[in-house]
Amino acid sequence: MQDSKKYTEAELVSLLKERQQPVFSYLYDNYSGALFSVINAIIPDKDTAGDVLQEVFVKIWKQSATYDATKGRLFTWMMNIARNASIDMLRSKNYQHNAQNRELTGNVYEQVGTTVTNIDQIGLRKLVHTLKSEQKVLVELSYFEGYTQDEISKMLNIPLGTVKTRLRAALLQLRELVKN
Amino acid sequence: MNIQAYIESGIIESYVLGLADADESAELEMLCRQHPEIQAALTNFETQIEKQAFNNAIAPPPELKDRLMDMLEQDFKEQNDSKKIPPPIVEMNNIQNAGTRQSSFWRYFAAASVILLIGSAALNLYLYNNYNDTAARYEALLAERNNLQASNGVFQTRLNGLEESFRIIQNPQVLAVKLPGVNGHTENIAAVYWDSQTKDVYLMPTKMDKAPEGKQYQLWAIVDGKPVDAGMVEDCNGLCKMKNISKAQAFAITLEDKGGSPAPHLEALYVYGNVNG
Repeated sequence: MQDSKKYTEAELVSLLKERQQPVFSYLYDNYSGALFSVINAIIPDKDTAGDVLQEVFVKIWKQSATYDATKGRLFTWMMNIARNASIDMLRSKNYQHNAQNRELTGNVYEQVGTTVTNIDQIGLRKLVHTLKSEQKVLVELSYFEGYTQDEISKMLNIPLGTVKTRLRAALLQLRELVKN
Repeated sequence: MNIQAYIESGIIESYVLGLADADESAELEMLCRQHPEIQAALTNFETQIEKQAFNNAIAPPPELKDRLMDMLEQDFKEQNDSKKIPPPIVEMNNIQNAGTRQSSFWRYFAAASVILLIGSAALNLYLYNNYNDTAARYEALLAERNNLQASNGVFQTRLNGLEESFRIIQNPQVLAVKLPGVNGHTENIAAVYWDSQTKDVYLMPTKMDKAPEGKQYQLWAIVDGKPVDAGMVEDCNGLCKMKNISKAQAFAITLEDKGGSPAPHLEALYVYGNVNG
């Protein structure tokens, strides 16, 4: 870390809008690791996840004026930018094409010498994997794969209302896991 | 309202994780302003998720920061403008008198300049013609590429529609009902695909006479002997999605005025088929 000074969140938010280089450097040093784990839990390939992180920081920097502190914390805002960008990447034709190529050459997680991580072991996804399976699948499809509840209802053949209540119950369970 | 029940409904967690829809989010933001307990529960979960992400942080590739700094360089604001360096002062040498050889030198110099200018003008003309030619060919290529892209888009849309239709037809829980033509319209045939779970109804107008000007085909579900409107047949790509029908013993299509009728004109019945028969 270049700058040992710690900003409070309110200070950081107002400095961000001044758009000076040292603030960006500070933001990167403090938040890149946490945001990278959010991305890496969705995009296992480290290089691609790095590209997404780059895009995310450019977005954070250019859109800092749109952040509204009354709607939530700065990290929540950045985390949602990171998740959306990761899911966009997951859905992109290019990425799916590459993923197919990886499947053709063997199991993604067992290849020697690649930087692909086992996503089940990363951050929030690790906690989600301890949920019971009917809850796990809903959080997986909605949070990590970005499907809407309507799409999930059709995919799994479960009524939309049930998807909603089960997902809410799963998130409450997840809240308890995050606490510990 | 029951604030505790709202906090325990899971909506706060959906909101923080970006899974709440626009209505739910707007409601939560409004309730946060009115009830400090809800605001506190929100901040509490946000802080925990944040802590969780920080505890599980993964170092990104080390070269990424420099790459970002380079990318955003234009975007950073100067911290202060006082750093500008004054331009250096250069002393001029004294100009010496070159003497009498000067005038003949300038004459040669002028002649050389004129020759160079003519040469350069000719070259310019040549390059300009080349440029025009290339630009025209580039425009043509661009137009061709746009055409190809547009027709590719059209094919993709059609393919997607057909794939979707194929998926519906293949689904084992979808019931197929054949609608053969009735007397006088025996050359017509259509099929209804009825999802037994979602009760969605899809129509495949396999071979129907072209509807005359101002007329349109209308699908009816026969429920306990009574016809129920199941939607108008539009010009669709593959299967037409019709109205959701929860119960029916048969389906039929009649030719009605454009926009449909509340009750079918039986003399305009074209095709008819029983469910399971």
